[in-house]
Amino acid sequence: MDLMHHSSTFLLPTIPLHHRPSLTYALVVLNQTLPRFAPLLWKHAQLRLCADGGANRVFDEMPLLFPEEDASDVRRRYKPDVINGDMDSIRKEVLDFYRSLLCILVAGALGGRYDHEMGNLNVLYCFSSLRIVLLSDDSLIYLLPRTHHHEIHIQTSVEGPHCGLIPIGVPSRSSTTTGLQWNLNNTEMRFGGLISSSNIVVGEKVTVQSDTDLLWTISIKKL
Amino acid sequence: MPLFFPQEDASDVRRRYKPDVIKGDMDSIRREVLEFYASLGTEIVDKSHDQDTTDLHKCVTYIRDSASGLDKSNLCILVVGALGGRFDHEMGNLNVICRFSYMRIVLLSNDSLIHLLPRTYCHEIHIQTSVEGPHCGLIPIGTPSKSSTTTGLQWDLNNTAMEFGGLVSTSNIVKEEKVTVQSDCDLLWTISIKKL
Repeated sequence: MDLMHHSSTFLLPTIPLHHRPSLTYALVVLNQTLPRFAPLLWKHAQLRLCADGGANRVFDEMPLLFPEEDASDVRRRYKPDVINGDMDSIRKEVLDFYRSLLCILVAGALGGRYDHEMGNLNVLYCFSSLRIVLLSDDSLIYLLPRTHHHEIHIQTSVEGPHCGLIPIGVPSRSSTTTGLQWNLNNTEMRFGGLISSSNIVVGEKVTVQSDTDLLWTISIKKL
Repeated sequence: MPLFFPQEDASDVRRRYKPDVIKGDMDSIRREVLEFYASLGTEIVDKSHDQDTTDLHKCVTYIRDSASGLDKSNLCILVVGALGGRFDHEMGNLNVICRFSYMRIVLLSNDSLIHLLPRTYCHEIHIQTSVEGPHCGLIPIGTPSKSSTTTGLQWDLNNTAMEFGGLVSTSNIVKEEKVTVQSDCDLLWTISIKKL
């Protein structure tokens, strides 16, 4: 019979480097008051999951364990990797908060079969409240929902200057931008008419406002 | 072109596949390439002063307005290189076929072909099953469609509404050798090209 080792090293401030067995910790937070050493467990875990209402606990109670710090900062620092469950306990504001921190990066959505590419673009429109970025070797694309003004901070070392604003699916009666070589000024855009392609980013900040959802695309620099 | 004929001399291949016209704003063509084709007699149309239209747009207007010796009564423009690459270019090229909706323009890549089905017609698409299909799609690229109807597809549309953010017909399958489409808006038809 083999020997099995046990040790509660997960309660120590630091896990000794050469400690055996070398375990990988995943943390699951269920819907009860967080133990006072929850931040310590969080630190040791490589994967942090909240089961449904456990997300409410992390949202409400992690800031209480760091009373001198700004609650928003604490919540961003203690952000779960996964929220799982039937979602009948998690509060809407908590779900929306963690969703707003999420950005889904997608490789392989462009090129290849064209109907696939269009289907993937449609996913951006169907999930317009989520941040989803489609990436290829040459470009990145994401949706700018009509419900918001947008500020795009250009990472000039890796992207640009070629860019575009594309009114897919519905004509835009009025779009306005700043920061582009050819800015739009309450300009109409539609397929079959004007769309903003082969535009150029001038400077480090682009703003966009429109009456419809627009696709933003910018070229990725060859490094 | 020489890469498609590896046993032949590259120069011979280039002479055989000599363009009639090179047109555009000339910011991509290499100097040596331009000089090579100019010396063979290719017409070079430098439109670098016109920054309002894409290179494809310039070529389509050239074919429509200037190309002499071409029977334009039943013209179909085939385009390679319009897809893949920079996404804003790809969208600009799609927009060209939407703007010139009264002309037959087919965009081709290794994997797919695309052309517009203008709303002003009922359409019959005869599928060349040896070279295309079965994967296909109908895309309401510019405006939502309140009603589209098809026959010959695995998932036919029947006065069905389509729009981005809702239903778009992708990953459909051609079931018969003839597909018919009728819609209240311009639709993009796309079909896969078979790997041969």
